[in-house]
Amino acid sequence: MSHKDTGVVNQEVNAKSAAQVKDQMERDILAAIKKPKPVYWLGLLITITMTLIGAAAWAYQIKTGMGVAGIRNPVGWGVYITDFVFWVGIAHSGTLISAILFLFRARFRNRFNRSAEAMTVFAVMTAGLFPLIHLGRVWFFYWLFPYPTQRLLWVNFRSPLVWDVFAVSTYFTVSAIFWYIGLVPDIAILRRVRTGWQKLAYAFGSLGWKGTFKQWQHYNQIYKYLAALATPLVLSVHSVVSWDFAMGIIPGWHTTIFAPYFVAGAIFSGMAMVFTLVIPMRKFFRLEKYITVDDFEKAAKLLLFTGMIVGYAYIVEFCLAMYSGNPFERDQFIYRAVGDYAFTYWLMIACNVVTPLTLFVRKLRRNIKYLFIISFFVNIGMWLERFNIVVISLAHDFDPYAWGTYTPSIIEVAITVGSFGWFLTWFLLFSKTLPVLPITELKEEAE
Amino acid sequence: MQIYRFEDKKPFMEKLEELLKSGFTSRQLEIYLPHPDHEIEELVEEYWPKSKLKFITLAGGLSGCSAGFAFTIFTSLDWPLITSGKPLVSIPPYIVIAFELTILFGALFSLGGFLLLSRLPSFKQIFHPEEYGNEFVIKILREET
Repeated sequence: MSHKDTGVVNQEVNAKSAAQVKDQMERDILAAIKKPKPVYWLGLLITITMTLIGAAAWAYQIKTGMGVAGIRNPVGWGVYITDFVFWVGIAHSGTLISAILFLFRARFRNRFNRSAEAMTVFAVMTAGLFPLIHLGRVWFFYWLFPYPTQRLLWVNFRSPLVWDVFAVSTYFTVSAIFWYIGLVPDIAILRRVRTGWQKLAYAFGSLGWKGTFKQWQHYNQIYKYLAALATPLVLSVHSVVSWDFAMGIIPGWHTTIFAPYFVAGAIFSGMAMVFTLVIPMRKFFRLEKYITVDDFEKAAKLLLFTGMIVGYAYIVEFCLAMYSGNPFERDQFIYRAVGDYAFTYWLMIACNVVTPLTLFVRKLRRNIKYLFIISFFVNIGMWLERFNIVVISLAHDFDPYAWGTYTPSIIEVAITVGSFGWFLTWFLLFSKTLPVLPITELKEEAE
Repeated sequence: MQIYRFEDKKPFMEKLEELLKSGFTSRQLEIYLPHPDHEIEELVEEYWPKSKLKFITLAGGLSGCSAGFAFTIFTSLDWPLITSGKPLVSIPPYIVIAFELTILFGALFSLGGFLLLSRLPSFKQIFHPEEYGNEFVIKILREET
């Protein structure tokens, strides 16, 4: 194996003093957040426009009523729930990279963790909107939370939908804390190098971080504990999301493999989104020196691995149905492969199972452009996976009299486009205001 | 007050070890590091106490777990309403809530404990920051040992 891309940072340590190397590192990484170029403003304009289209569509839906969405009997859960599961899934790789790979001491994690954690926070912010969009009377959303009411009635804690409220809000809180704690010392660096009002803003953001030994001592501890708390959390969140389905009796939903199957799929889709975002970011911000091809190769292996778990889960799911002795369950899976939605089913198989297998070829794994393209395939495939699970199962359950099909309406499409705009807007704002690489961790590594 | 500033880690660690051996406590010395470092942490923790954050995190986790069970059981008994023929106090589904709250309270307590122990936010440092860049610094605050 050639290692022409590694060791760049280490070689320079010998030539210059350690402090000079670290100064250079700060300059390189912070160069990314200098004054934006026109292409950045153009990107921001596009994403904000997308967000506004989605917002207008939602406003129209609230004013007119849920009839403007394509969901109706028997398919009562459509694109909104698909989007919800998709965005929660995207969030998962952030915690995988920042927490699980941290506990395993995987070094390449330092290249991706900051942007992946940011992605996690923004993806949960996007996902959290969809249960609200799906509500007929969104102004009563607070009924989901347990609070003492004049009707003396509490929420039903036996319902998976209430578990979801707890899981997703805990996930948002914990990943936001994790992200912010990691940012504090880096914001303190920005405080040092900036002037004027920016200096003051970053000074507040840094909470007055000084970098004393005692502070670092507590910092190392909290980082470790948050990683240890986030690891079981990330596994629980998508399990709970999967139980929204698996606790129901609908054929295609009521199966025990849903929790591990969803968690693997979530990490798979999240890794793909990391590629989609980090590859252009690396190019625009000239971070080739810090995020090397070797790092991408390691991440690509993770994509291949989780992709194979997902492929395996598809096979297991099919076999479970075939051997279940349950005609409804069996019929559901035959319907998936040859029924009204056969196209989306086979497109999903092509995107999620077949294309990732090409990553067995080392040359392709190390080809950044190829990884960028494949990440789109996986994003599309994983969105379709959720669509297939949600929609096809509902379209074809027990009683042939109650069968029906579903096509998303233009409003649902507009809101989905808006959710991508909302997510990308936050990511663009992040990339120009906060360090996209964890500076202090890279300094430690260079030492 | 005396200040020692170092560009590199090695001479810094030698000086630090010398001071720690001569019995300087955590109240007498202030050490600045540009980034976390496990070697330095191991060296200093031979002489100085370790972080007490773990007790706060543990307290958070335990209180979250008990709050989760207590709250779900209390609300079920407060308005007894049988749904899907399940027992009023159904422990398995409540484990999910208790689990999530264990993590949530654990993380929130950790955050609070971290801010408290690290003396953050520090307004003195926000408005008049004391910066040492990428140098390793030892400040002797009080001479007497």
